[in-house]
Amino acid sequence: MPLRLLKYGLSRDYPVSGDIPATPELKPAYDVVIIGGGGHGLSCAHHLAKYHGIKSVAVLEKGYLAGGNTARNTTTIRSNYITPEGVAFYKEGVELFERLSQELDFNVMFSQRGQLTLAHTEATMRSFHMRAEIGKHMGTRTEVVDQKGVEELCPLLNMDYGGPLEILGGLWHADGGTARHDAVAWGYAAQASRRGVEIHQRTEVQGFEVVGDRVQAVKTNRGRVACGQVLIATGGMNYDVALMAGVELPIRCYPLQAMVTQPLKPWLDTLVSSVSLHTYLVQSSRGEVVIGGGSDPYQLYSTRSTLDMKEHLAEGAVHLFPFLQGVRLLRQWAGITDMTPDYSPIMGASPLANLWLDCGWGTWGFKATPVAGKRMAQTIADGRVPDILKPFALERFETFQLLNEMGATAASH
Amino acid sequence: MNRLPAPFGSRIDRSRPVHFTFEGKPFEGYEGDSIASALAGSGQWVLSRSFKYHRPRGILSMTGADANALVQLPSEPNAAAERTPIVEGLRVSAQNVNGSLERDRDAIMDRFGRFLPVGFYYRTFMGPRRDSWLKFWEPIIRRKAGLGVIDTKAPHRHFDKTHLHCDVLVVGAGPAGLGAAIAAAEAGAGVVLCDENPEIGGALSYGRYDPGILSGLASRLEALPNLNVLTGTVCNGWYEDNWLPLIQGNRLYRTRAREVILATGAIEQPAVFHNNDLPGIMLGGAAQRLIRHYGVRPGQGAVVLAANDDGYRTALDLLDAGVSVIELADPRSGDEAGPLHAELRGKGVAIRKGATVEAAEGTPGNRHLASVRIGGSWIACDLLTVSIGNAPAWQLPCQAGGKVGYEAGTQMMTITLPKGSVHLAGAVAGTDELEDAIASGQRAATAALSRLGHAVAVEPLVTPKSVRPRYVQPIVADPKGRDFVDFDEDLQVKDLQNATKDGYREIELVKRFTTVGMGPSQGRHSALATARIVAEATGRSVGEIGITTARPPVGPETLGVLAGHHEVLERRTALHTRHIALKAEMKPVGSWWRPYFYGDASGAEEAVREEILAVREGVGLLDVSTLGKLEIRGPDAGEFLDRLYTMAHANQPVGRVRYCLMLNEMGSVVDDGVAYRLAQDQFYVTATTGAVARVYADMLFWNAEWRLKVDVLNLTGAFSGLNVTGPKARQVLETLDSDIDFSHDAFPYLSGRDGTVAGVPVRVMRIGFTGELSYELHCPSSLALSLWDAVMAAGRPHGLRPYGLEASRILRLEKGHILIGQDTDAITTPDELGFGWAVSKKKPFFVGKRSIEMRARLGQTRKLVGLQFPAGARNIPGESCLVLRGGAPVGQITSVGYSPSLGRHIALAYVHVDDRAEGSRVTVKCRNGELVEVPVVAHAFFDPSNARQEI
Amino acid sequence: MKLLTCPMNGPRNIDEFQSFGPVRAKLDPDGTADTDWSRHLFRAENRKGIVVEWWRHVPSNYFFLAERDLVSNEIIRTFDASELRDLA
Repeated sequence: MPLRLLKYGLSRDYPVSGDIPATPELKPAYDVVIIGGGGHGLSCAHHLAKYHGIKSVAVLEKGYLAGGNTARNTTTIRSNYITPEGVAFYKEGVELFERLSQELDFNVMFSQRGQLTLAHTEATMRSFHMRAEIGKHMGTRTEVVDQKGVEELCPLLNMDYGGPLEILGGLWHADGGTARHDAVAWGYAAQASRRGVEIHQRTEVQGFEVVGDRVQAVKTNRGRVACGQVLIATGGMNYDVALMAGVELPIRCYPLQAMVTQPLKPWLDTLVSSVSLHTYLVQSSRGEVVIGGGSDPYQLYSTRSTLDMKEHLAEGAVHLFPFLQGVRLLRQWAGITDMTPDYSPIMGASPLANLWLDCGWGTWGFKATPVAGKRMAQTIADGRVPDILKPFALERFETFQLLNEMGATAASH
Repeated sequence: MNRLPAPFGSRIDRSRPVHFTFEGKPFEGYEGDSIASALAGSGQWVLSRSFKYHRPRGILSMTGADANALVQLPSEPNAAAERTPIVEGLRVSAQNVNGSLERDRDAIMDRFGRFLPVGFYYRTFMGPRRDSWLKFWEPIIRRKAGLGVIDTKAPHRHFDKTHLHCDVLVVGAGPAGLGAAIAAAEAGAGVVLCDENPEIGGALSYGRYDPGILSGLASRLEALPNLNVLTGTVCNGWYEDNWLPLIQGNRLYRTRAREVILATGAIEQPAVFHNNDLPGIMLGGAAQRLIRHYGVRPGQGAVVLAANDDGYRTALDLLDAGVSVIELADPRSGDEAGPLHAELRGKGVAIRKGATVEAAEGTPGNRHLASVRIGGSWIACDLLTVSIGNAPAWQLPCQAGGKVGYEAGTQMMTITLPKGSVHLAGAVAGTDELEDAIASGQRAATAALSRLGHAVAVEPLVTPKSVRPRYVQPIVADPKGRDFVDFDEDLQVKDLQNATKDGYREIELVKRFTTVGMGPSQGRHSALATARIVAEATGRSVGEIGITTARPPVGPETLGVLAGHHEVLERRTALHTRHIALKAEMKPVGSWWRPYFYGDASGAEEAVREEILAVREGVGLLDVSTLGKLEIRGPDAGEFLDRLYTMAHANQPVGRVRYCLMLNEMGSVVDDGVAYRLAQDQFYVTATTGAVARVYADMLFWNAEWRLKVDVLNLTGAFSGLNVTGPKARQVLETLDSDIDFSHDAFPYLSGRDGTVAGVPVRVMRIGFTGELSYELHCPSSLALSLWDAVMAAGRPHGLRPYGLEASRILRLEKGHILIGQDTDAITTPDELGFGWAVSKKKPFFVGKRSIEMRARLGQTRKLVGLQFPAGARNIPGESCLVLRGGAPVGQITSVGYSPSLGRHIALAYVHVDDRAEGSRVTVKCRNGELVEVPVVAHAFFDPSNARQEI
Repeated sequence: MKLLTCPMNGPRNIDEFQSFGPVRAKLDPDGTADTDWSRHLFRAENRKGIVVEWWRHVPSNYFFLAERDLVSNEIIRTFDASELRDLA
C-alpha cells in the first residue's frame, strides 16, 4: 500500500489539500491576466509562477474551473502528426505528460497504452506512411503496421477481410495515451495557486480597454482589471473573446461530440481510431468506453448533442467491434471547438503588443495543455516567441504558410 | 417462497414456470417475472456487490436505474435485473465480485475505506518510478474498476430502425400521460403514447388506487383508433425540433412529433443514514411494485419510513400482502397524513411522529437488513421501506430546454420549460394528487392542441390542491460513515463534504472530483441530496448550486439499437460481373469496387507486368466507369468552365477535348479531368473518382452566385467508360461496327466524336493516361456490358487484355502523369507541379487565379520532379519517404514503382525548389532509415516526346 | 434531427443538406490588397449571433440561403439565392 494511503487511514480527519482556493477579491491590476481557466490557461499560470517567477497572475474563468473543453475532450495524447513543425511541438507535449504527475504531485493518470489508427483505404495507408516517416525522423515512436501487426495489437478488431472496409493496416503510435483531463487542470490550478496565482471562477470578461496597440485593462462582470500582459486561452470562445479586443481570428466554431458506455472490465488496451469510419474508442481506467468522432457539419456555439451523431458513432464502434452491440451507452455530450483552416493552432503574438494568443485548438487541444502552457509562459515572460512556436503564428494565413494537419486530425483529434 | 396469491402479480403468469440460474444455482420464477422479482420471490435479495467497497446490494427502486441491480448475462454486461425478463435457461451472474457474490474476496475493501478517502487516486499511485502508474497501479485499478464483463464472442443480434410521425407524443402512461393522450386523441390529433413499462398506468398499476380508475382510462383509450400506445417503449432523449428516439426492444423508432407532452413522473429519493444500502432497505415504490406487479412479498417484518402519503399507502399495502408492519416512522410532527394515518392506526400499526430512521444494522457480512434505529432504539426487521420524497424526472424536460429550480418555500425541485412545443404534465410538473395529475395532462393536451390549430376551449386554469411543502431530510454525516448518497459510486456524505473542503465547490466540480452521479443511475437518486449537501457545505442555497446538466440518453441504451442494421455503402460499376468472370482481384477504392489486376493473387506481380506490356506493345482495356462525369449545358457553358478551370474553354472548338485543372480559392490543385465540347452550349467533363461529388456541388455553388445560364448534370452513375489503349487500339476499334472514323486524320489526338459502336451509342475521346494511342468510350451504363463484350471480342485477335488499377498506376507513372490527392496535397499549386502550361495567362478570372499569383510572388519552396533509380538499385524508398536537405525534410516521394518498360524504379517526389533541375541529386530517407541519393529527371520517364499517344 | 426548410423542397431532415458556410462579401480579386485577399480566404463569419449562410439540398443540388442563429441554432428563414443581390 502506498505510504500516502497509510497516512490517510491513520489520520483522524480528512487530510484537506485545498487544491482550489475560493475565488478571492479581484485586485485592480495584475502583471499577467490569463483569460480562460481551462487546462491551457492554468498550465500557463503554473509555468509563469514556477519557472519565470511571475506571480502577479490572475486566471479569469467565466464558469467553473476547467469546465469547457478541458472537461469535455476525450483526452487523446499523441504526437503522430504530419508536419515536422507539428510533430516537434506535440512531441514535447507528450514528453511533458510523461512526467506531469511528478511535476504536479497530482496523479494525472497518464496512461501511455499506445494509439492504433486504422486504414481501410490505400490513400490512408499512404498518409500513414507519411506520418510514420516524419515521426521516425523526428524521434517519436510512430510506425506503420500491416494487417498481421494490427491483429497482434488489437486481436478483437473486425478486420472485415474481403469487405468494403477491410483494415489494410494501421499507424501504431506507442507514445500515444490518455490522461485524466480534470486532474491535469486541477493539478495545475493547485500548483499555480500555491505559488500565488489567483484563480477567479464565475468571472466573465466582457471587454477590453485598448489604447494604441496595447490592452490597458480587461473589463469583467466583477470589475476592471489593469494588466501588463494578457493571454487569451478560452477554447471555444476564442473567436468571441479576441473579437472584443478587435482581433479577428481565422476560426470557426463547431460542436464536437462524444459519448461513453457503462463501465466494463478491461478489454481494450489501446486507443483505436478509424479514419474512414470517423470513430475512435478508448477504455478509461474506470472501465467506460469513450467513443468519439468527427465534428458536426455546420458552425454552432452549442453543446447540445444529436441523435444522428450518436447513431453514427455507434455504427462505427459496432463495425470495429461487433460484440459491442449489447453494451450500453450512458452519456453523450459535446464541446465547442475553435477550428482553424489548417487544423493547427494559433499561438504567439496578436496585432496588439501585449495580447498573446493560445487559440485555434479545435479538436486537438488537450494533448498540448502542458506544452502550450510552458511555451506561452516563456513567450509572455520573454516578450518574444520561441522558435518552436513560430510556425504557429497568426500571420501564416497571410503568407500561405499553412501547417496542414487535417489528414492527421480528422478522426483522432 | 415469498409469493402472494392473485390478484397480486399482474405481470406474472403462474401457470408458466421459468427456470434459470443465478450464480450457478437453479431458480424458478414465472413468465413475466424480471430477474430481480424472480430472485426476490425465492428469497435471494443480494444481487451485486458495490463498486468500491464491495458491499452486498439488492433491490432499491425496481425501476432498473441503479448499479445495485445490474447483473451479468452471458452476452450482455450490466443488464438491469429489475427490468430484464427471465427466460427459460437464462444464466445470470453477479457483477463486480472477486470470487463469488456470496464470498467476495474484495469485501475486505469495506474495512479499509478510511484508507481510501475521496479522490485518493489523484494523490497517490505515482511512484516509485515515473512509469509506475502505467506499469503497476493502473492495471490494478482497471481490473477493480468496471462492472460487467464483455463477451467478445457474443452472437450477432438483429436490430432495426423505423420512423414514426405524430401530432402529439405523450411520454409516460401514468395518470397525467393518460389524461393528456386521451384528451388529445379525442380532439382528433394523431397521438403516440409511450411508456417504458409493459403496461399502461404508471403508479396506477402498482400504487394503492381504485382499480376502476385505470380500467376506466384504459377503455377510453382503446376506443381511440388515432391513439397509438407503445408500451415497453422508452423515450430515451429529446433532440432539436422534437426528434425523439423511442426504443422498443431491438427496435429504434426515430420519432418526429409536432408537439410533445412529457409526463415522466417523479423519482422516489432514498434516505441517507448509516448502512442505508443494506439489502432489505428499499423505496416504497419498489415494495409496491414487488407486491402488485410480481406478487412478491418484500419481507416479513417491516418498518416503514414515511414522510408523505405514499409511505402510508405502502404500509397499508404491506399489511395487505401479509407483511407485519412493526412501526411507521414519520419525521413530520403534524397530522399531514390525515385519513391514511387513521386507517393505518385502525389496523393496529404503531405510528411514531417526528421520528426518523437514524441507522441500520445488517446480518453478518451485511447480507441483509437486521434492524433499524429510530429515536435511539433498535427495532429488528427484515424490510425498511423509504418514502421520504420525490424529485421530478428532470432528464427529458432538461434536454428539451427546461431549467431546474428550487422553491425554498415548499422545498420543491421545480422545472420550467420555455414556451413552445414541449409541455409538462403530472408529477414532473409538480402535481401531488391523482386528480391534479390527470387534469394537468388534459391542460397540456389543450395547450398542444391549440398550437396545432385545433379549436379547443381554453379551460380555466384549475388551481391544484394546495401543494404541500415537501419534507426535507436533514443530511448530517454519520460518524461511522456508510451513509450513502450515491449507491452506484459508493459515495458517502463526508466524501462530498470533503470535496468542497478541497475547493471543489461548484456542483460540476464536485461531480467530477467525487464521480457522484456518473454511474448507471446518472444521479437519479443522488442529485438532489448532493445539491443539498454542497449547498450546506458552501453556505449557499440549493437553487444556487443546482444539479448537473442532464444529457441524453435518459437511461442506458445499447450500441446495437443505435447502430441498427448498418450496411456499408459500396458501389459497383456496370461491368462488375465481367471483372469477376475474368477472375479480377477486386479492391475497394473510395466507395467503388475496382479490378486491381486480373488473375490469381499468387501471380500478382507477373499479371501486372503482363498487363503493362499488353498496353505498351498491343492493346489493353480499362474500366474507367468510376470517373466522375458531368454534363454542362446552356448558353454560358463555355464561360462557366472558363471560370472554374485554369485553361480556356470558351474558345474550345466543338469536337475538341481539353485538359482541365481545377483550383480552389486558395490556389491549390483540387481536381483534374478533360472537357469534351459536344456542342456550342454543351460540354462533357470528367472529374476524378474521389472528387466528383465535391466538384458537382461546387459547380452549382459557384453558379448560385454567378447566375450564369448553365445547368449541370451528374452522369457518373448513368454513364460507363472503357478505355481502349495501346498501339493496336485503332485496329481493334476499326473492326467494330461503327459510324465513327477512327483514323488518325479523321479523329486526331484530343478530339471527341459521337456515334455508335457495336450498336451502342457512345461518346469517344482520344485521351488517355497511359501515353499510348487511346480511345475512351463512354456509353449509357445500361449498355456497358454489350459494349465491353463487343470490344473484348474484337480485341481477341489482337491480344487485347483487360488491365487493372495497379497496371494503370505504373503506366501513368511511366508518363509522369500525376494523380490528384496522391501527388498533390492541400497546398499544391500548379507551379509546384510544373503545370504552368495548363494555366491560362489571358483569362481575366478563374477560381484560384488571384491566389496563385500571390503565392507565386511569395515564392515557392518545393517542386514535384521525377526521380529515376539506377537499374538494379538495392534500396528503393517507398511512398511517403522523406526527401531531406541538410538533414531536414523538404518533401517526400509521392509515387514510386518499378517500370517494366524502363527496367528500373521511378518516382515522383517533392524536392526543394533549388533542386528541381534535371541532373540535381537529392537525398531520400528509406523506410529502414538508410539515405540514398537519386538523380532528378523529367516527369515523362517513358516516351518523353509524347509521340506514341498521337500516332 | 433538426429540420431545415428548403425553399424548393420544403421542410426536410437536416442530414439531407450540406452547409457551405457563411456568405462572404464579394471582392474584386484584382482590386484587393494581398492582406485583404488572404483575410477573405481564411476568415469566416463566426460571431455569436445570426449569420446568413449557404446551404445545399444534396439530392437536388440546389443552393439557397438561410439565416441561422449560431448560438441557439434557430433557423430564422431560408430563401433563394436570387434574393442575395438585394442583400448585397
